[in-house]
Formats: sequence, C-alpha cells, structure tokens
Amino acid sequence: MNRPVRDHEILSAVFAKMDVPAMTVAMGVVCSLFLFLATTTLLLQAVPQDYPVGPHLESLAAYLPGYRVSWVGAVFGAFYGFLLGAVAGFAAAVYWNLTHYIALGMMLISSAELAD
Amino acid sequence: MGNYQNMRATNHSVNGVNLKLLNAAIRFNALMLGLTGGTLAAVIVYVATHTSIARWGSNSSAYLELLAIFFPGYSVTSNGAWVGAFWAFVYAGTCSALSYRLYGRVLGTRIADVLLSTVPTENPVLKPSVLRLHGISLGVAIGAIAALGLFCSTAWLVMRGTADESFHAALFSNYIPGYSVSILGGLLGAVELFALVFLACLLLASVYNRIVEMRHKKP
Repeated sequence: MNRPVRDHEILSAVFAKMDVPAMTVAMGVVCSLFLFLATTTLLLQAVPQDYPVGPHLESLAAYLPGYRVSWVGAVFGAFYGFLLGAVAGFAAAVYWNLTHYIALGMMLISSAELAD
Repeated sequence: MGNYQNMRATNHSVNGVNLKLLNAAIRFNALMLGLTGGTLAAVIVYVATHTSIARWGSNSSAYLELLAIFFPGYSVTSNGAWVGAFWAFVYAGTCSALSYRLYGRVLGTRIADVLLSTVPTENPVLKPSVLRLHGISLGVAIGAIAALGLFCSTAWLVMRGTADESFHAALFSNYIPGYSVSILGGLLGAVELFALVFLACLLLASVYNRIVEMRHKKP
C-alpha cells in the first residue's frame, strides 16, 4: 500500500548516512561467498585427467598468498574475499558519508553567502 | 518503475513539491554514488597496475594489459596507470550513477522504507538517519547495469572482429552456462548475470539491514 511521501522523509533519505560496520561486514560476506563459489564451481566441473583446473583463476595467487584452485584454496579464497570485500565496503561507506558531508558543507556555505 | 509512476500521478495532483524533491534527491545521490564508485575503481586500477609493475617489472603485462581493449591508451606502465584510473573512473562512475538512478526509480514511493526511522527528526540534514538498503530495488538496478555491461562488452568484442580470439572472455562460460563471445551468447549471459547479481544484492541488503537493525535497536 503506497502512502504519500513526506518531504522530511525524502530529505532524510538523501542525507541518510551509511552504516560503516554493517557495509564492511555485508560486502565481506558477499565477496567471501563469491570467491568461494568461483573456486568450487571450477572444482566441480569435469575435466580430463592431468588437465590443469582453473589456471587463470589461480593466477590470483600472485596477489593472494596461499590461494589455489583446490578445496583448501577455496577456504583461503573465502578468507581473502572477506578481507578484500570488507576493505571495499568500508571504503565505499566512508567515502559515501564523506561526499555527503562535503556536499552538505558546500551547500551550507553557499546558502550562507546567499543570505549575506 | 510502476511505483514511481504511481507516485508521479498521485503527487502531481496532490503536491508537486514531493516529486520535484524526489527527482532532485535521486539526481544528487546518483552523483554522489558516481563519485564514490568512480574514485574507488580508479584507485583499484591504479594500485593493481603499480602492484603488477612492482612484482613482475617488465613482464607484468599478462592479464591486466587486456584492459586496453576497453581502456584506450592503457598499458601496464606508470603512465598507463593514470590512463587506466581515468577510464575506470569514467566507466565505474557512469555505471554507479546509472545504478542509483535506476534504484531510485524502482524504489519510488518506498523511499521511506530505506530509513531506519521515519519519525521526523529535528533536522534531517544535520542529524541524518541511518540508511537501509532495499534488496529488490538494489538487485534490479545493479543487476540491470551489470547485464548491460556484459552485453556491451561482448558486443564490442564481436564488433572489433576479435570474438574468436577472445578466449579469456569465453572463460565466463565456466560460471554462466551458455555464454559465448557472440551477440546471442552475450544476451544469454546478460540474463544469467542479472539473476546472479540480483541474488548477490539480496544477500548484501539482507546482511547489511540485519546488522543495522542490531546495532541501532533501541533497548
């Protein structure tokens, strides 16, 4: 059921701040699952014997020490995925809040100048 | 989209200010998200390029160099890192801004749902509420942009005549069954990617909202 949107709700939605810890954990969980599933999907596919599994994905090992396209590597991947996702989520939330504060500051300054 | 149009019809006759304010709100936040997404992507490409150079020196152009297909002028060099950062800012910024526009449109009159509290605050600008995410709207918006991105990238590879040599892009078929570097494969891949991203966004919003509610629950 739709109800009329009140102005204060729209303003609140525009300037609502992102919860930094929540975004950090949420992005960490999603990226962790992503890298885990990316690895295990390759492991579950049928490949000829002695054929390398996921050589391209395994090149991530250059950036993520210990990572391999294997079941143990998938766990490492989940850990690294959480770490990287958490960093990205933290940065995104902080940057989102920061840009809003800066924009707000600029608006307040310009409105003060107009009032003068 | 229907929600937004419904509101357009309602508010035009009842109160035109809301629609104007909502449009401005969506535009403002689209710009903010564009800046956020663009800057983060630019930093990631810049750091990845320099990490690659530091680790492998002159032999560092293995996979990252493939970005040059979409980033004209990019190379795994110090100068190339700036070019890559520029293109990453443009692409990611545009996609982020478009995602928010779509998110805002799909969300429409449910905009109050994304706030932790809809009780009028003393000043909604200086004392902001905490943002929640609307999983379905987020999934539709980011899923659509991701799907469009995959389709356009595939179409670009087809148009430049390198579809048969694009074996790295073809590896997507490991995760997206039926995908191939062709127009039809791109369409099929776009639909499947939309579904995957939609699910990922539902998970993201669910975890985020759960933590927000736990952290801000009043005793």
